[in-house]
Amino acid sequence: MNDEERIAYLAGEPGVEAGPDERAELDDLRALLADPALWAEPSPDLDDRVVAAVAEASIGSVIGTAPAPGAQQPVRRNRGRAALTGGLVAAAAIIVAVVLVLSGGGKPPVQFTAALQGTALSPGARGEATLTKMTGGWRVTLNATGLPRLANGRFYEAWLKNHKGVLVPIGTFNQPTNVTLWAGVPPTSFPTLTVTRQLANGDAASSGERVLVGVARPAR
Amino acid sequence: MVAGDVAVGFVRGEPDAVRAVYKDYGKLVYAVAFKVLGDRSLAEEATQETFVRAWRGAGSYDPSRELGPWLATIARRTAIDVHRRSARRAHSPLDEETPGLVELPPSVERAYDVWEVRRAVEQLAPEDAELVRLQHLEGLTQSEVAQRLALPLGTVKSRSFRAHRRLAGLLGHLRDDPAEPRAAERRTQFAEEPPR
Repeated sequence: MNDEERIAYLAGEPGVEAGPDERAELDDLRALLADPALWAEPSPDLDDRVVAAVAEASIGSVIGTAPAPGAQQPVRRNRGRAALTGGLVAAAAIIVAVVLVLSGGGKPPVQFTAALQGTALSPGARGEATLTKMTGGWRVTLNATGLPRLANGRFYEAWLKNHKGVLVPIGTFNQPTNVTLWAGVPPTSFPTLTVTRQLANGDAASSGERVLVGVARPAR
Repeated sequence: MVAGDVAVGFVRGEPDAVRAVYKDYGKLVYAVAFKVLGDRSLAEEATQETFVRAWRGAGSYDPSRELGPWLATIARRTAIDVHRRSARRAHSPLDEETPGLVELPPSVERAYDVWEVRRAVEQLAPEDAELVRLQHLEGLTQSEVAQRLALPLGTVKSRSFRAHRRLAGLLGHLRDDPAEPRAAERRTQFAEEPPR
């Protein structure tokens, strides 16, 4: 079988004969080309989640909750001296971390932003949200225009959603002006931010009446 | 292949550099994870974790070597770990099976080949890659591809031949040919223990 015939067989052209060995080899390659894994496409926002996950790990290493790149396991030494040295290093690390946190120095905070768009229920609405990683969770500041104030048992509720559709409520409000909300889940795994209209009727589930939608991305 | 300064930026966790590395290798990492795990959500989890592990293990990366094979090894190992975690979550502690013993899916063995073939497909022109996808994944004949893409059959035939010739050239090293020892060598490297 010459190269032209091999390629024709690989391309599935009819009437091309191949010996058993060559056929097995080419069929193996054809099977790989037909493998769904080969053609599987990740979610378009996976790059943002990867960037955020590395940024999060990077911040973790600065404040001492995660190993830094190339971190090695400590080598066992003289126990007394190692304990003393370890204690001093730990104390120094804590002081540095406290100073960094209090002074706001070091790396900038981990932040995500989401440009929010109105839906068919609120075509003129627009807004933006900033999500900042804090010790207690993610602080979400939200501002939007084009939405009326809701009251008398009607209110807005914001949610973070993951790619499986799981919704986590992050707070309620009457008017989306300088609203501060708190999220206990990270935008790295719950990247979609939505705002719904709700009724205080004892049903805590989302009404499904979305008025704002956006995807949180790492702030540049 | 990413430039050296991008690799350095990746080690520092700089968002632009991480994004650049993801742009070059993200889909390859995802393909390996999907091959091992067979699940979109778990594959995405494994992809995220692969990049975090790569960043953490950057001290063991030799900048003079290509980043891809190093990432591929981490991707395979991470996918196996995600598979094990997922399998353990699926079993209750009261299961009679030996706890902690999780069988690896046979697809792990082909993870290297998927990486290599995907890399080759990504080097095709997008319209040629789509043609190859329609032929192999969707199982269309060349006539059906011509109909689907509204192209003359002759054009489909010549483009198909060109695309497969390029693939055959790019994937020659996958052949189990004694004169071509790179495949076995690369498979061994791929299965080596990566940084954790």
